[in-house]
Amino acid sequence: MAGAQAGSTRPMGSGLLKQIALFGGGLLVALLLDFTLDKAISDSSIRQLLMMAACNILVALSLNVINGMAGQFSIGHAGFLGLGGYSAAVVSANLHEALGGGEATFGKSFIVVPVSLLVAALLSGIAGLFVGLPSLRLKGDYLAIVTLGFSEIFRLVIATAQIGDKETIAHAWSSAGSPRGFVHAISVMITSLGGQNGYAGPKDAGVPLYAGPFWVVGLAFVLGVVAWRLKFSGWGRALRALREDEIAAAAVGVDPTRYKVTSFVISAVGAGIAGGLMAMNRDGTPIVQPDSYNFQASFDAITMVILGGSGSVTGAAIGGVFVTFTVKAIELLQSTSAVQALKQRFESLDLNALRMIIYAAVLIALMIVRPEGLLGERELFQKKAPSPAKAK
Amino acid sequence: MDLTLKNVTKNFGGLRAVGDVSFTVPDRSIYGLIGPNGAGKTTVFNLVTGVYKHDEGSIHLGKTDLRPLKPAEIARAGIARTFQNIRLFGQLTVIENLLVACEIDKKASLLSSVLRTKVHYEDESSMRDRALELLGVFDLAHTAEEPSTSLSYGNQRRLEIARAMMLKPKVLLLDEPAAGMNYGEAEGLKKQIRWLRDTFDLTVVLVEHNMQVVMGVCEEIHVLDHGETIAHGTPDQIRNDPAVLAAYLGEEADGTATLASDADAKAPSAKGDEASAKEPGAKGDEASTKGDEASAKGDEASAKGDEASAKDAKGDERGGKAGEGSS
Repeated sequence: MAGAQAGSTRPMGSGLLKQIALFGGGLLVALLLDFTLDKAISDSSIRQLLMMAACNILVALSLNVINGMAGQFSIGHAGFLGLGGYSAAVVSANLHEALGGGEATFGKSFIVVPVSLLVAALLSGIAGLFVGLPSLRLKGDYLAIVTLGFSEIFRLVIATAQIGDKETIAHAWSSAGSPRGFVHAISVMITSLGGQNGYAGPKDAGVPLYAGPFWVVGLAFVLGVVAWRLKFSGWGRALRALREDEIAAAAVGVDPTRYKVTSFVISAVGAGIAGGLMAMNRDGTPIVQPDSYNFQASFDAITMVILGGSGSVTGAAIGGVFVTFTVKAIELLQSTSAVQALKQRFESLDLNALRMIIYAAVLIALMIVRPEGLLGERELFQKKAPSPAKAK
Repeated sequence: MDLTLKNVTKNFGGLRAVGDVSFTVPDRSIYGLIGPNGAGKTTVFNLVTGVYKHDEGSIHLGKTDLRPLKPAEIARAGIARTFQNIRLFGQLTVIENLLVACEIDKKASLLSSVLRTKVHYEDESSMRDRALELLGVFDLAHTAEEPSTSLSYGNQRRLEIARAMMLKPKVLLLDEPAAGMNYGEAEGLKKQIRWLRDTFDLTVVLVEHNMQVVMGVCEEIHVLDHGETIAHGTPDQIRNDPAVLAAYLGEEADGTATLASDADAKAPSAKGDEASAKEPGAKGDEASTKGDEASAKGDEASAKGDEASAKDAKGDERGGKAGEGSS
């Protein structure tokens, strides 16, 4: 139990050197992965799985800020992921065209990926601010409905856009003087996202897949460190105190408004980056579709956080990996000969439904064995805090 | 800094929880706020700390109007409190509970915390030092890294006071700090309250049912009943106030009258003693003399009649119940 303070009271000294070693080391490993992963693992589906796991770590880490640390129950994380995914897809595709198209090279990724992710993070963050504001007055179920509403509105606005209208965005904006024209221009922009069919770049050439292992694994590592440091800082402490008792926290000078809204924004920014990386994932599909951001996606994110242990950074990371692999393992199970034989015997058997049953069973079993999640609020690799005597 | 309430009124729907209450807590005094259950004492605390906003009247700390301030801002302005039903941050360790109260004088920004700059480490270590020092004062240093819920009831109460003290408050509001404490612990609490006032130069306002503590430590007492002021004065005046006795024990046509007249006769002499005890000597002496005086008074009170001791017993019983509830 001891030592929730780990990581915040390390002795001073070669701080800068340590930082460089930490981040440099992490990024170097990611860089090596970028060049060797294709050769080391020839099966693209396994590569895809590993990249997906890294993305899901980011999904879980970002949701953990709001659901785990702040104790606000958001079930609309997919909305932020989607906003990040679509923004990154649009920005990267257009930037790719502007750079002359062609192959998505590693060199060009240093221009495209940062810019796309910055836009994704910014837009998601702004959305986080607006969704966070009602959290000041709402709690529990009511807040959950607001977040769910946000994510469903986002998804349905895109999915139900009337496609087939070939008016260009530039043309629509040129006649956007009146309020009516303005609304029209906005709707043309949304329409250009491809509706239910998904968005695949301005010329339907596909979203350029710039985010190789360097970006995905590297950012998972860097943002993991950031999440850890947020938790073990005064800010994280105040946020957890707020979760435990809002009145008492306010009575010791912690302003609930400020902390709740910032936690929403930080969580949304993280989700924006995660969604952006998923959209540009080198081993993913070159298209973003509204259905990837349905309630199931939000629910998977919640599962990751709760399975790993609400409030635990390393727990969220483990949860992200665990859920990714469990889903994949069940998929693999589907193609085994025994299951296929069963399918032939019973024609009406729906294998997808079977998958959900097994998934649910695994979750229920885990919740019975460890109701507080794999780690609870504890962390792996947590240093023991210095004993009081030593600290004095 | 004086804490001044002027004609403060608070209604909950049709219920007048606090009606037209005015009092001034002098700087560096120990002030008692008593009254039967439901009298509105805790509501007054909630109004002062901004949990509720008063409908009429004004509350000032020094010259600062507290009405427009949010609870967190009032805490920053220098008013710290504890809660009747202990409100600790359960999942946090003992020392983390104290560190949360440092947020207001933290120098490191969120960004510098993420980058783990020198400012962040300096901040953390100076805050930890202060927290450990305070834990030492409250004899909790050895529990620093334990989860706060693992502490015993009495220690949790003390931790709440320690947490409030982290704010370096000018005014400390204690809501039933002696609930669930036995005689010895309550005596210890009395000493601690005086020590806090003298050491940290602050004003203490006390809501308490335990008369041993209230009469022993408070210099001035304000009595509420049904949200309204029924009496105000020194412990001796309050002890013998007919309205107070009636509120606590119920009215008895002749019984109350005789007791009151009895008490009136005794009051002046007791007051005189107190004044003479106050005159000589340094602060420390004063505190110790007062303590003796208080215990002597306690004896006197029990000798005074069944009613007085019944009052004490009532307080104890309540405390006992609270203790059972928590354990």
